[in-house]
Amino acid sequence: MALTSILAAFALAAVLLAGCSTHQKRLASPRASFYANQLPAAEKQLSKLIEKPKSDANVIELDLAMVELLRGDIASAERRLQQVRDTWDHLEQKSLAESAASYITDDHQRAYSGEDYERLMIRIMLTLCSLMQDGVDAESYSLQTLAKQQQLLEKARERWDEELAANYCIPPLAPYLRGVLREATHRDYDAALRSYQQTASLLPESTFLQNDIERAQHGVHSQPGYGIVYVIAMVGRGPYKQETNHRPSQAALQAADLIVSSLGKYSVPPTLAPVKIPELVSPAKPFDLVGVEVNGNAISTTLPITDLHYLATQSYAIKRPEVVARAVARRVVKKGAIYAAKDKLNVSTDLASVAMDAAGVLWEATEAADTRCWGLLPREIQILRLELPAGVHQIRQEPVTAGRPIGPAVACDVTVRDGQNSYILSYWPGIKPIGQVLVSGRSEATP
Amino acid sequence: MRATIHFLAAGLLITSIGSGCRGFQYGHLVSPEKKDLVGSHSAGSEVYRPLVEESVAKLLGSCETVPAAATLAPDGTPVPRRVCFVGVENCSAEELGDFREHLYELIDARISQSPSFAPLSRRVVEAALHETRLRPDSLVIPDNMQLFTGVLRQDGQPVDYLLFAKLTSGTTERNASSQRDYLLTLEMVDTHTLQSFKEQAEIRKGYHRSPLGRFSSYNIFPGTK
Repeated sequence: MALTSILAAFALAAVLLAGCSTHQKRLASPRASFYANQLPAAEKQLSKLIEKPKSDANVIELDLAMVELLRGDIASAERRLQQVRDTWDHLEQKSLAESAASYITDDHQRAYSGEDYERLMIRIMLTLCSLMQDGVDAESYSLQTLAKQQQLLEKARERWDEELAANYCIPPLAPYLRGVLREATHRDYDAALRSYQQTASLLPESTFLQNDIERAQHGVHSQPGYGIVYVIAMVGRGPYKQETNHRPSQAALQAADLIVSSLGKYSVPPTLAPVKIPELVSPAKPFDLVGVEVNGNAISTTLPITDLHYLATQSYAIKRPEVVARAVARRVVKKGAIYAAKDKLNVSTDLASVAMDAAGVLWEATEAADTRCWGLLPREIQILRLELPAGVHQIRQEPVTAGRPIGPAVACDVTVRDGQNSYILSYWPGIKPIGQVLVSGRSEATP
Repeated sequence: MRATIHFLAAGLLITSIGSGCRGFQYGHLVSPEKKDLVGSHSAGSEVYRPLVEESVAKLLGSCETVPAAATLAPDGTPVPRRVCFVGVENCSAEELGDFREHLYELIDARISQSPSFAPLSRRVVEAALHETRLRPDSLVIPDNMQLFTGVLRQDGQPVDYLLFAKLTSGTTERNASSQRDYLLTLEMVDTHTLQSFKEQAEIRKGYHRSPLGRFSSYNIFPGTK
């Protein structure tokens, strides 16, 4: 009787320690509000969640930053992004205590420090936040993005694959923005060229980058009396994680064997029932491109420069075997602990044995895949460069599929300054943009 | 025996804390006499700072002779020659990153310390580039130079020299080691005569995948080949 009480208490503790509902479920409602363009409701729900975070405070902060950005409070969004960037940098270091706890419960015990693509996107979003304001820190943020990529590359090579390509996980927008900033100096064309060439190497099929390369090689930023407008559109719902059952491969079992052998006298069985792991998914894009009109004249469309779904799935594919191996090791540790307890307590009756097995099953059932992620990122980022005479221009944007508009247009006024850059930023998870269409230097809501 | 056990336990505890706990980040001020950190993957202060020091010193040294056409002050001393430092062009194998602006400022500051030269404000130079929409690399074309210096003159900033800085590199690979030679070239162009002269400084640096790579690739005994 005492034994079953102990086990019941043990199972209860495991239930309490493990995440009762996944991050994905907790965030479902505020994210639905966000995508329904109900930003105040989304903000209220996220603020409520952040009061009682379950090891997902940072990703909720990031979602809040997206809400703030799109309702025009760019300075606040930038502060939040900075804070999470710094916290993640700290959390990137390993914690043995969290690692050990994760083998008793699940990966939620590990502090979340972001996937590699998220760590880079946070810096890109910071660059965009700066550009939409005074641009003072944009240069630093763009440098930080590329420096972070180098750091992540070295870590990934050390940890997962020594042969990993040097362009691991770079969002092509990162070097492109750096090129844009250098070109705007009217001086550092060599640096701009380097950045555009790097972008082109990441997007070999994007011929529009040849114009940038050609201009950086032989041309100038803009002709006298003209300035540049960059129309940046975030299109579609970005990648998020959902829980799946995964049957471990032999390679994963071998990797898990290495982990469990370091934890104690456990060994991995030749086969294992499926384990719960997160998988990245992204809904399909709602349309192809954003059509752009200037002062009533159709000019062109934005073109894709960063496919976040591709970036996220590619970088996660490299890390995935480790996630599976940890899940397998966790299963083995839990089973091993139950067997060891039975052995130690000399369980002889069927009832006690069944009770312990039931406790073990309950223990395993409390485990949830770690679905924490920055869920409000777009699926794709698109860009269009316009050279326009200095002055005020009306820019209309509309969703386009197969060359035809499929939704209402939104308009905003932008002031073009001689020889300078201006930026327009919008987010289109569906055929209508969310919140405000942001214009650098000021924000304007004209849906 | 008991003390030994305590000592070992403390050691284990320290080791486990050191390897398994998250640490904080700390900073410290590096005093001027301390050597710069040596970058493991690319050049940094340890390369760029001496390159600037040497190349600017050579340039200023070679310009000590006052040209015959120099303007003289009422007291007979030559008026400092006006230098327009156009910028740093990076043709090396490495991204300069935040060193680009840093290099510019280092060179500019060194030149401004010379009594023979008076550099133009960077803001003035940028404004002229902005106004003329000329590329820095196209300023050596006589017509472009005339247009550019004309704009500066109109703004009350006559120019005697255009100064260009160019960073290049050459890499030699050998198995797991490589050597990169960094060359900083400063080129001064006289806007009146279109004559130019240049000075260079070079630093060679080895990169190795193993800590012993340095010794296997280079002779450690000085003075021997």
